[in-house]
Amino acid sequence: MAPPARYCVPGERLCSTEEATAGSGTYTRHGFIFSSLAGCLEKRSEDSGLPVVSVVRDAESQLLPDVGAVVTCKVCSINSRFAKVHILYVGSTPLKSTFRGTIRREDIRATEKDKVEVYKSFRPGDIVLAKVISLGDAQSNYLLSTAENELGVVVARSEAGVQMVPISWCEMQCPRTHTKDFRKVARVQPQFLQT
Amino acid sequence: MPLDHRRLRGPEESQPPELWAAGTGGVPEKEEEEDAAPQDPCALRPLFARAGLLSQAEGSAYVELGGGTKVLCAAWGPREAAEPGAAAAVGGGRLLCEFYRAPFAGRGARRRPGSAAERDAEREAAAALREALEPAVRLARYPRARLAVSALLLQDGGSALAAAISAAALALADAGVEMYDLVVGCALCRSPGPAAAWMLQPGEPEERRAVARLTVALLPALNQVSAVLGGGQGSPPDDWAQALRLGLDGCHRLYPVLRQSLLRASRRRDAAAAAATTTTA
Repeated sequence: MAPPARYCVPGERLCSTEEATAGSGTYTRHGFIFSSLAGCLEKRSEDSGLPVVSVVRDAESQLLPDVGAVVTCKVCSINSRFAKVHILYVGSTPLKSTFRGTIRREDIRATEKDKVEVYKSFRPGDIVLAKVISLGDAQSNYLLSTAENELGVVVARSEAGVQMVPISWCEMQCPRTHTKDFRKVARVQPQFLQT
Repeated sequence: MPLDHRRLRGPEESQPPELWAAGTGGVPEKEEEEDAAPQDPCALRPLFARAGLLSQAEGSAYVELGGGTKVLCAAWGPREAAEPGAAAAVGGGRLLCEFYRAPFAGRGARRRPGSAAERDAEREAAAALREALEPAVRLARYPRARLAVSALLLQDGGSALAAAISAAALALADAGVEMYDLVVGCALCRSPGPAAAWMLQPGEPEERRAVARLTVALLPALNQVSAVLGGGQGSPPDDWAQALRLGLDGCHRLYPVLRQSLLRASRRRDAAAAAATTTTA
């Protein structure tokens, strides 16, 4: 049987900073580590240095897209200058409410940024892997970028409504009508592909 | 005379019921006589708190003070900020508070429910709630997000704002929002009269007659005051300082109850999650 879990409330003093380092769900003040969540106390011992103390809640933690995180989003509208997306997943955890993001025309590709056409890279309804480059200022949404080989369109439907198959880094083909469409395709790592 | 079987025949003589009523008055007209038997000004009303009762909100709490103040509060975790306004420039999240008073809440309500004066009072209470809660929530961890808290006053028996502050803090902690500490609220009031003393957690009649009212919100573990709300007339400054000290003492005494309710709610949630996974597995 696992030892009885110790529950703590926000503001509870856990230990001093000399005995452990602060992990997630905690904060330090006046040389002590305090809990920041109402949940279960977890103490993990690291080989190098002090054990790490963190507080976890078994419910799904509310993640916010952070700078540098790879997110999965769905394109909702496109423009000649940018594409607007809804962010659905951060990493592999689904978000409870969608956040809005923008992929600017110059962030779609790494090379030949001025020759990019948004209409030939994304279409509304595509599922796209992107990376967060900025949280955005007061007026704009999250800024995303697909300027890497592993980022771009993963799932797209053709006009016939069938899921398209990627042919190259810039083309996808519909298996039923055999028409080719332009997209900025992501080269998904083989371990993530399910065959 | 023929008997009328459809009627119930009562007794021939009748007596007034007050002869048989219990000696201690539950009758409202006897309120003024309570002054003669002064309550202990440092006595706290019994507090009942429970967190994690609503299923439709991410976090919720219900706080009831003995004597009839009932507040229900719900909190929602980070959502996308609807209009990124000035707060987004600061770089933290936003806390949106709402305070609603149920139409059946007051006994002899001072304002008609639904009137403009009532809505103004609600808005003021919501602003007070936000002022008390903002220092306790780690808004820097939720950039560009908004956290929503909604408090509903079901019955007003005095000290409603203080109960709402405690309930809102419990609901936020129950929703999994990162906080520096829980916020405990305590109300005080001072009745008219030259030598009147400050009283903790007044009831509704005392609050209505009070000359000065105060609500104090404290972060107990860090020992920081997050808000001092209210006001009144006619006391020297040391009197207000003493009132503040009394209020903070009351908050410290209320904290263990709130902490226990939160721990119980965490245990209940984990037990329910464990039961759900064992049944599906």
